[in-house]
Amino acid sequence: MGYVAIKGGGQAIQGAEDVLEALRTAEGEHGTPLTTQSIEHQLRLLTSRIVSEGGLYHPQLAALAIKQSQGDTLEAAFALRAYRSTKPRLLETCTQDTSRMRLIRRISSAFKDIPGGQMLGPTYDYALRLMRLDLANESPEIFREVAREFLAETPEPNLPDTFPKVVEALRAEGLLPPVENHTETPFDITREPLIFPVPRSAALATMARAETGSILALAYSNMRGYGDVHPTVAELRVGYLPVMLPHPITGEPVEVGEVLMTECEVVAMYEDDDAKGAPTFTLGYGACFGHNEVKAIAMAILDRALQKGMRDGPTNPSEDPEFVLLHIDGVDSMGFASHYKMPHYVTFQSDMDRLRTTQQKHESVKQQDVKQQDNEQEVQV
Amino acid sequence: MNDGILILSYSERVDAKTSRHLYQKAYLQEGVQDKYMNQTTSITSQRSQWPRQLMAVPAAEVIAVAATLASQYQIEDVTLPQAGLALMQLRDSALNEAYYPGEIPLASARVMLTSKDGAQYEGAAQVMHDSATFARAVAVIDAVLAGNLPGSEAVEPLLDRGAALLTQQSITRKKMLARTRVDFALLGSTEEEDGDE
Repeated sequence: MGYVAIKGGGQAIQGAEDVLEALRTAEGEHGTPLTTQSIEHQLRLLTSRIVSEGGLYHPQLAALAIKQSQGDTLEAAFALRAYRSTKPRLLETCTQDTSRMRLIRRISSAFKDIPGGQMLGPTYDYALRLMRLDLANESPEIFREVAREFLAETPEPNLPDTFPKVVEALRAEGLLPPVENHTETPFDITREPLIFPVPRSAALATMARAETGSILALAYSNMRGYGDVHPTVAELRVGYLPVMLPHPITGEPVEVGEVLMTECEVVAMYEDDDAKGAPTFTLGYGACFGHNEVKAIAMAILDRALQKGMRDGPTNPSEDPEFVLLHIDGVDSMGFASHYKMPHYVTFQSDMDRLRTTQQKHESVKQQDVKQQDNEQEVQV
Repeated sequence: MNDGILILSYSERVDAKTSRHLYQKAYLQEGVQDKYMNQTTSITSQRSQWPRQLMAVPAAEVIAVAATLASQYQIEDVTLPQAGLALMQLRDSALNEAYYPGEIPLASARVMLTSKDGAQYEGAAQVMHDSATFARAVAVIDAVLAGNLPGSEAVEPLLDRGAALLTQQSITRKKMLARTRVDFALLGSTEEEDGDE
């Protein structure tokens, strides 16, 4: 049997699109189309995941991607990346400083009394994980009232716009290595292939766009014992980072917008200084677009693990840059898995031909063995 | 640096050009930039905040006001308005190394306004936005405001409204923090031990 081109594939593919649309709108006359605003706000953590994995901070388009992919996070991130690939890159920003983030949440598991205080902000950390059945039939009136009441009931606080970083306090006490001045140009993973060894900036960029489940799984392997990071969260913060660019005429820094980000610094076991300085704690760093706490923590743990692997050679999978960085991208891995659904008729035909040939050889050998056994029995008789 | 300069109102900016110049001069001093960037309210006077304030109000209104201004001046594009992306560079606070967490939408424009008496005023804008038309509108407004030109008064309500919305946004965020501040002193007086592992 040879390769046969199939007629009608185009119609089937068009039909598949129609079926998808029919299912998306299956509520019929009783349905209401999801607005991208509703997705962006009511499914804000899902939107956060897509802007992070898509590598493009565009919550409105991320919400649209979620809508068109009917909630498939891998497909949504893929769509966002496809979109970004069609747009020209106008410039590269100057280095942004996360100490200027306008926070909505900051916690530390290292100290109770961090400068500025701990503020839980929006979190499910202390939720009971019981089903909220009242949401099943939420009335629009009650829905609209909640935020209004929250704002009305909470007095206007006297808080600063930014807060000091916990790691800076640790650094001031000499518990962390001093800050070094790095002037290297960061590695651009969207323009250059990952050919190992890669600099740390390539690892950070790859992890910032990683698929949440994948990066968590590899960090979890380190947490469970295939590694020795043993992290303490010095600070986890969520907030809006003002993006500053020089004014094209005056050169004065101008805020061109803001980006919701999650940032995490973990403190790990201390090490002796190679330069025979005082021993200090080591650090891992994670920061990505959107509100993605588990991802930022996983990234920080893997950053610390990869630093060790890059320096001393990997002793477990989570310290191996090649293993980690080539297996955490959602679009890459989903593409590879999905490609198995595409026609493999020729390769499979080849596999079948080889199997049949091998089976025939096996059969002929078997028949020869039987003949030989028969001959041997005849001789004995 | 004087805090009073930092919290100038918009109307003060229009009336007191000197104050703006004072500010820009002081801005270059060490440490002033950090202090300035931490301000989110009552800073409608700074050119660096105009794009942000204009982004806070509906884009159609900004474009409409810019179109009105355009009728008073001859406008030439110094560079063509563009919409695309910018690669964002971040400095990690652990080891102080830079990396790229991803890209952001960006639109930019640069224009030259020529008044009826032949005087020229340049304006420019870079905004996290998808619309080059919007960026051009902000650039036109930037030129008018920076030159303190006739038409500034038409922009004032937009800037004020944008500043008010940003102030409200800032208050909302701070309320989230204030409502969830952990009082460890209270915890220590009622619990025997901290929830440490």
